[in-house]
Amino acid sequence: MFGLHLRNELWKLFGKKRTYIGFGAFLLAQNAMLLAFKFTRWQSEMERLLEGNGYLALEYVSALTVALIMLIPQIALLMPLYTALVGGDLVAKEVEDGTLRMILSRPISRFRLLLVKWLAGGIFSAALVVMLGVTALGFARLWFPWQGMFVFIPGQIFNVLSPADGLRFYAFSHLFMTLNACTVLGIALMFSSFNIKPAAATILALSLLFANLVMEGIPFFERYHQYLLTFHFHAWRLVFSQPMPWAQIAQSVCVLLAVNLTTFLIAAAAFQARDIKS
Amino acid sequence: MIQLKRLNKQFGARQAVNNLTLAVPAGEIYGLLGHNGAGKSTAIGMMLGQVWPTSGEVLICGYDVSAHRRQALQKVGAIFESPAFYDYLSAVRNLEILSSYTALVSPRRIQEVIEWVGLSGRERSLVRTYSHGMRARLALAQALLPQPELLILDEPSDGLDPEGIHEMRQTILRLRQELGLTILLSSHFLHEVEQLCTRIAVLNQGWMVFEGALAATKTNEIWVRLKTKDFGLAVKELLQARMITRDRDECMIALSPGVETDQIVRRLVERAIPVYEIVPAEQTLEDFYLSLMERQRKAQ
Repeated sequence: MFGLHLRNELWKLFGKKRTYIGFGAFLLAQNAMLLAFKFTRWQSEMERLLEGNGYLALEYVSALTVALIMLIPQIALLMPLYTALVGGDLVAKEVEDGTLRMILSRPISRFRLLLVKWLAGGIFSAALVVMLGVTALGFARLWFPWQGMFVFIPGQIFNVLSPADGLRFYAFSHLFMTLNACTVLGIALMFSSFNIKPAAATILALSLLFANLVMEGIPFFERYHQYLLTFHFHAWRLVFSQPMPWAQIAQSVCVLLAVNLTTFLIAAAAFQARDIKS
Repeated sequence: MIQLKRLNKQFGARQAVNNLTLAVPAGEIYGLLGHNGAGKSTAIGMMLGQVWPTSGEVLICGYDVSAHRRQALQKVGAIFESPAFYDYLSAVRNLEILSSYTALVSPRRIQEVIEWVGLSGRERSLVRTYSHGMRARLALAQALLPQPELLILDEPSDGLDPEGIHEMRQTILRLRQELGLTILLSSHFLHEVEQLCTRIAVLNQGWMVFEGALAATKTNEIWVRLKTKDFGLAVKELLQARMITRDRDECMIALSPGVETDQIVRRLVERAIPVYEIVPAEQTLEDFYLSLMERQRKAQ
């Protein structure tokens, strides 16, 4: 029955048009960035940076490099927006529409219902991240050759990788991006489980992330970075470092898993305690 | 089938349900009456485990809803006012989803129920294309899918046109006759309750102010519609003579026990008060309900 409940939750989630807003927005953003990279000084500046460091630019301005360049802002900005939008809807929208009252007139426990919603949200997050990675690489491949990967994140990472290693690390980084997406969705689901509107749940989740992001940018908070959620969201980028900082990645993964568990437990407690009325 | 024991619910400072105790026996169509905010929906919410009681106990089919939700609601179907569905999915998909929260239901059973409620041919259409009447039928279908023994209907006729209301009423009767269901019906439509229910409870500001057989609501007083030149004077005269107990609506009088209409006419004519019309009025549930509410207001 659990599998059936999960399947039904996926029907509900993927049957809605607004679920696909994120997918559509990513496609548009990727193509816009691709055009900008191809037809502005963006590409030539990267080539200069590579040549300045003794590399042959032609070997590293590739589909993998461009795909990663496209992912960085999208994972930081668009992904939280769309996962928060879906997470904020999961419970609050059903309360608003009255369908939750229909469900809760049946003998399903609230905990199980919330758990299948959370899992369905996790599947959505994974699908969104995978689609983001695959399409970024696919679109980039249409314009750029399949060659080595150049990773440059100012002040953090400067690395060149062979095409095989680049693809392996690119795929591996998606595990951590999925964890980020699940965390954002979990926060939005937590707010959604309280007695508030779906939009309010989404806004609260985004506000929390935005506050973290702002604090991360303030020099005073540098010593407190490990307490900021967005700091741990950078784990996926660290995969491309040489050598790979496993300890730091593991720490971030643990923090994010703990946040996921905590937000789910708060959501379960709030959802269990509240009255569902029309 | 349903037993509420000293049930209380408080929302902040507001007491929504006060010490509610009632029992719905198997096989009855039981009416739950009361104006908006009387506590009907809160009571139904507590019966279905959607609203947590502040104190008291709710037993459905012998099980405590709070402690044994699965067993208590296994054989229960419910319909709410303005039934909500996943509008972007088909009726069949909605039924599959909603029924799965009770038990696994075969496609054949879903088809049977769709035919029973008269939605054959439209079951693959998106629910957003459905009229209000069709949504009401779909609501009934989802309530019937777990093969319930108890149906809880919260304002099922709300928003329906007169034809839809009539159809819903006939369906409720069919449900009891053909499927032998116990039905709890919460409704604003007193005429509907009068036609369907065998027993009623009336709530007012969270308190139960009446509970009993429907027949018991009709035996208390004989009302008569009186048309005279001066109704106020006539009432005063009749009250002095202890021939009536009270009046209402500037045209209705309640006869004292043993008094007949010819005595009323004679008395008024003797006092030079012309009588243009006097008609015994059968007391309806509406009369009973309104007089009950008036008594409650006066008691406060």
